[in-house]
Amino acid sequence: MFASIFIPHFQVQSLARNEPELSGKAIAVVHSDAGDPALQKVVEANVAAVQSGVEPGMTRLRLQHFPGVTIRQRSVAQENSAHAALLDCAGGFSPRVEDAAHDTVVIDLEGLDRLFGSYAVIADQLYDQTILLGLQPNVAVAANPDAAICASRGFEGTRVIPRGMERKQLASIPLALLTAEQPFLETMFRWGLHTFDDFAALPPVKISERLGQAGVRLHTLARGASARPLDPHMEPLRFEETMELDDAIAMLEPLRFVLSRLVDQICHRLRMRHRATHEVHVHLDAYERVLQLPMPVCDSKMIVELLMLDLESHPPKAAVTRVSVEAIPAKPRAVQNGLFVPLSPEPEKLEVTLARIAHVVGKGNVGSPEVLDTHRPDAFRVSRFDSMKPATATAPSFPSLALRRFRPPLEATVKLSNGAPRWIAFQGFFGPVTTASGPWKSSGEWWQQDHWAREEWDVRVGTQKGSMLFRVYCDPNNGRWFAEGVYD
Amino acid sequence: MVAPALRAQLESSFGERITTPFTDLGRRVGETVSTGIAALDARTGGLLRGAITEIYGGASSGKTSMMLSILAAAMTRDEACALVDGHDSFSPGMHSGKFLWVRCHNVTQALKSTDLLLQGGGFGVVALDVSDLDAKALQEVPLSTWFRFQRSIEKTPTILTIVSRMGIAKTCASLAIRAASDFEFEDRLLAHSVTMAEIVRLRFNPGLKPGFKNVCFNFYPSLSGSIARP
Repeated sequence: MFASIFIPHFQVQSLARNEPELSGKAIAVVHSDAGDPALQKVVEANVAAVQSGVEPGMTRLRLQHFPGVTIRQRSVAQENSAHAALLDCAGGFSPRVEDAAHDTVVIDLEGLDRLFGSYAVIADQLYDQTILLGLQPNVAVAANPDAAICASRGFEGTRVIPRGMERKQLASIPLALLTAEQPFLETMFRWGLHTFDDFAALPPVKISERLGQAGVRLHTLARGASARPLDPHMEPLRFEETMELDDAIAMLEPLRFVLSRLVDQICHRLRMRHRATHEVHVHLDAYERVLQLPMPVCDSKMIVELLMLDLESHPPKAAVTRVSVEAIPAKPRAVQNGLFVPLSPEPEKLEVTLARIAHVVGKGNVGSPEVLDTHRPDAFRVSRFDSMKPATATAPSFPSLALRRFRPPLEATVKLSNGAPRWIAFQGFFGPVTTASGPWKSSGEWWQQDHWAREEWDVRVGTQKGSMLFRVYCDPNNGRWFAEGVYD
Repeated sequence: MVAPALRAQLESSFGERITTPFTDLGRRVGETVSTGIAALDARTGGLLRGAITEIYGGASSGKTSMMLSILAAAMTRDEACALVDGHDSFSPGMHSGKFLWVRCHNVTQALKSTDLLLQGGGFGVVALDVSDLDAKALQEVPLSTWFRFQRSIEKTPTILTIVSRMGIAKTCASLAIRAASDFEFEDRLLAHSVTMAEIVRLRFNPGLKPGFKNVCFNFYPSLSGSIARP
C-alpha cells in the first residue's frame, strides 16, 4: 500500500505557512516572469479568494477591487522550504518516499501497519504531522502510487481505498484532476466525459486507436490500475527555511519573530527525521552568520536566543528583506544521567548562559583558562568551557599561595641597595622593602623578535596597615622595573 | 490572632504550592563541603551548599589563596566551578577541568555575570572576586543584589563565594571570614604565608560562636609557572 500527501493551493499554503496570521483569510498569489510589479498576475488563489471572485490570470490592478483579499508575491524559496518540509514529514514515517511533485509526495507503507497501526491510523497521523508543518493536506492510501496520488487530489481530508476498490472509489473524481494537458481535456469534454468513471468505461483498444499510448496511460490511471514501482527520493537531508519579506526589517527585535518561526519549523523537521543540529547558518540577504554549538540540540528557543545574542554582537549592516536559516543535521545527543553524576550545568542551558555573559564581558573574556606550553610569564589562552570535560585536577598536597596579577604589569620606581630593592613605588603606592627575595633570572624565545628576559624579586613592603608581598621584576634589556602582582 | 494560628492559616492557604513554608526552614540541615583547608574545615564545618560565603581582607591577607583553595577542592570533587574575576587578576595555573573564568573589568560586568551564572545553575562553586574593584562602586551596590543572589542559590547545591576587601554581603552571607596574613622567609627565600582567619559570622552551625574563632593555617608558594626558583 502507498500513501500520498497532496497540498492543495500549494503556493498559497507555502506562503501562509510562516505567517499564521493569514490563516482563514482570502489570499491571492501574484507573479510576473518579467519581475515588473505592474505586470504581475494571479497565479494561484485559495478557496476563500476564489469565492470572493478572484480568478487565476487576473492582473494585480484588478485585484485592488477585492479589498478583502490579501495579496502576496510568489516566493520560490518558500515553496522549496515547504516542499522540503513535506519530504521530511514523509521521511519520518518511511525511508521509501517518492518526490512525485512539488505539492505531492508518496510513501511506501509496506510493513508500517505493524509499527503504526492500521492504514487509516497511518493516514490520520500523516495528516496531523503535516498540519504541524503549517500545511493543510489531503492524504489518501491506495494499493498503487498513482491511485493514491489521484485520490489525494480528488478527496479532501483522509481517504483509505481498500485493495481492488480503486476504480469504484476514484469514479467520482473530475477528469480535470487526471492531467493538466489541455488538448486532452478539451477532447474529453467534447466527448461528454467529465469524471474518471466516464473515461474508465471506454474500451482500452479504442482509446489506443484514438489517443495513442499517452491516452492508454491516462486510461490506466483513471481505472486505478497502474502498476509502476515507487521511485524513491535519494537526496541528502537538508534543513533550510527561507522567508522573503515584502517590507525590509531594519531592527533586530522584529527579526526575532521571523527567526523564531523559521527555527521552529526547522526544529520540527529535525525532530521528524530524528535529528538535531550542531551548526546553524543564518543568511540575512548577503550577510551570513554561523552558530556553532558544542553538542547537537533541537531546542528552537535556545537556538533563537543564541542567534539573537550573536546578531546583537554582530548586527547586519543593512535592512533585511530575505531571511534564510539552515541547520546542519547531526545525530541527537543521547545521555543517560546517573544518580551520582557530579554537579555540572545542563549543556543546553549553559550555552545560552555563556552567550549572555560573552555579550556582557566580550567573547574572549569567558571560557576555561589554558596555560600555554611556554615559560613566558602569564602566557595563557581562554578556550571554550566544556561542562562535560572529565576532571583532571587533583587535590594539591598543600594549600598554595595565590598571586593576583596586575594586567598589564605596572611600571615601578625601585631604589636599590647592594643590588636588591630597598624602596618601591608604583601607581600611588610606595613603601620600604623589608625583605627581598631574588633575583630569579629567566629569559626565553630569544629567537623571536619579542624575546623576553627578566629578573624577578619577591619583596615584602612594610606599611602602617601591615606588610604586603609583591612580585616585581626588572627587564635587563632596558633596566625598567615593573610590579607584576601581589601575593594574596 | 496568635502566631501559631496565623502560621497554620498561612500554611494551609499556600497549599501544595509551598509545602510547610516555615517549618522546613527551621529544621533544615544543609550539606557542607570542604574548603580544601583542613584547619578551616575543622573550625567551621566546611562551606554550606546553597549559601553565600564571604571572605574579605586587605592586600596580601590570604583571601585569594582561600578562594582558590575552595575552587580547587570543588574541582577535585569533579564539580563545575566558575570564577567571576572582577578586575582580571586571576593567574591561571593548576586549575583545569570544569573551570569557567569570566574576566570582568567593572562592578556591573561582575554582578551581571554572577547573576547569569547563578540563574543558569549547575555550578558547584561560583566565586565572585571584587577585591580590586572601586570601593565606592561596591558600596553603592544595593543590599537587595546580595539578597537576590542568596535567593537564587537557596535550595540549590551551589556555593557563592564572595571575595572582597571589606565585607559587602552583610547579613546575606552565612559564613563570613576576615583574613590577615604575614609572610615567613627562610634564608631570604619565601617559605610560606601565615594566614589568620577570623570567623565573623557563622549562621548555619550554631554550636560555634563567631568572633572568638580565629584559625591559623599556612599557604606555601607554588612552583608552577616558575622555572628559576629552588
